[in-house]
Amino acid sequence: MLAAVSREQPGAAGWLGVAARLVTGGVWIWAGAMKVTDPDASVAAVRAYQLLPGDVAEVVGQVLPMAEIVLGLMLVLGLLTRLAGVLSALLFAAFIVGIASAWARGLTIDCGCFGGGGYDPDAVDKYPWEIARDAALLLLSLLVAWVRRTPLTVDRLLFRPV
Amino acid sequence: MSKKADARAAKAAAELAAQQARERRRNLSIGALVLVLLVAIVSAGFLVRELTGGDSDVDTSAGTAEHSLTLGEDSAPHQVIIYEDFLCPYCGELERASHEELRRLVDEGQVQVTYRPFHLLQDFEYSGDALEVLAAVMETADPDVQEDLHNALFAEQPSESGPFPSQDDLVDLAVEQGADRDAVEAELDSDRPEQWVETATQEAQSAGVNSTPTVVLDGEQFTDFRTIDDLVTNLVAAIEAPADEPSAPASSGSAQ
Repeated sequence: MLAAVSREQPGAAGWLGVAARLVTGGVWIWAGAMKVTDPDASVAAVRAYQLLPGDVAEVVGQVLPMAEIVLGLMLVLGLLTRLAGVLSALLFAAFIVGIASAWARGLTIDCGCFGGGGYDPDAVDKYPWEIARDAALLLLSLLVAWVRRTPLTVDRLLFRPV
Repeated sequence: MSKKADARAAKAAAELAAQQARERRRNLSIGALVLVLLVAIVSAGFLVRELTGGDSDVDTSAGTAEHSLTLGEDSAPHQVIIYEDFLCPYCGELERASHEELRRLVDEGQVQVTYRPFHLLQDFEYSGDALEVLAAVMETADPDVQEDLHNALFAEQPSESGPFPSQDDLVDLAVEQGADRDAVEAELDSDRPEQWVETATQEAQSAGVNSTPTVVLDGEQFTDFRTIDDLVTNLVAAIEAPADEPSAPASSGSAQ
């Protein structure tokens, strides 16, 4: 009887969720991969925001690239998908706050989102686009969390519907 | 009869509920396990780097007196080493905020400050030009003039987006600080200043310095700051703190 559990047909929302997972996840993996090979640059990029105390900036700079890659894989593979969507949204929100605060304090820094970081003379022109990009990705992350069950996830293999 | 059916239904419902509870527990444990694994993966990279000798350590012995501007005595209780690039904006901010305080502490004999300028921003010729002029001045002028030029280069620091002073402008700046124009120009005509810049840059790289400003206090990289102003405040406080704790005067190399 339980074997007959319906494999519900994924609706439009489901496939939209898949697209959102691939886009946000892909961006995270890319962003993490650009930074993970150069932890010192990543730490320097975090420091350039002048928001976190030295030791914390060090840890954040070191951990963030790897965390981004893992988060990206969670989204692309659909592993703990809703949690990944929520974490992704929170992280984008944090980045938006960081960039907005750098902008407000008159710092001109490269956001360091995809490697790089530190001083950038053209930063002020880029801030609005960076914030818009992160806001769009934040919405996509929320979409992933909102859709709940999207097709093509590892979650479907691991977890049985109750 | 209906009682029997009721009983059967109740039993089936109970079994279903138990089954669902088991499934839920199973899902929960799998979820928890996966989460722990993922957190472990994220922390693993970090821990490995921390345990394998932390690449953030600066090997200050990879620096020589000829390529350093040293203020104060070797015998001072604290040693500060500052790696910097003449174009790096945060270095400028640091210098402008700190040089008077550090000069005072040097005069009081509380600290020896060693500046190790090098060419970090390889995309910018200006950064190398300024170093070459400093190198020429270090070869031909008194320590006072060297220090004044060092401070003047940061006081007059151009923006990374230009416009950049020419090397001749920088020679003018050196002369204003008391350098001898002919001697400096003759030195610049040789290839020694260029060589000096190359060696200083190699030394910084060997020390593991790849961002500026990098500040080392008594052999340990100084990271206790959020803003550059914090850095200056905390650094001065650390130097002035009474040395009641047996903080071993670390790293003999820091005194060159």
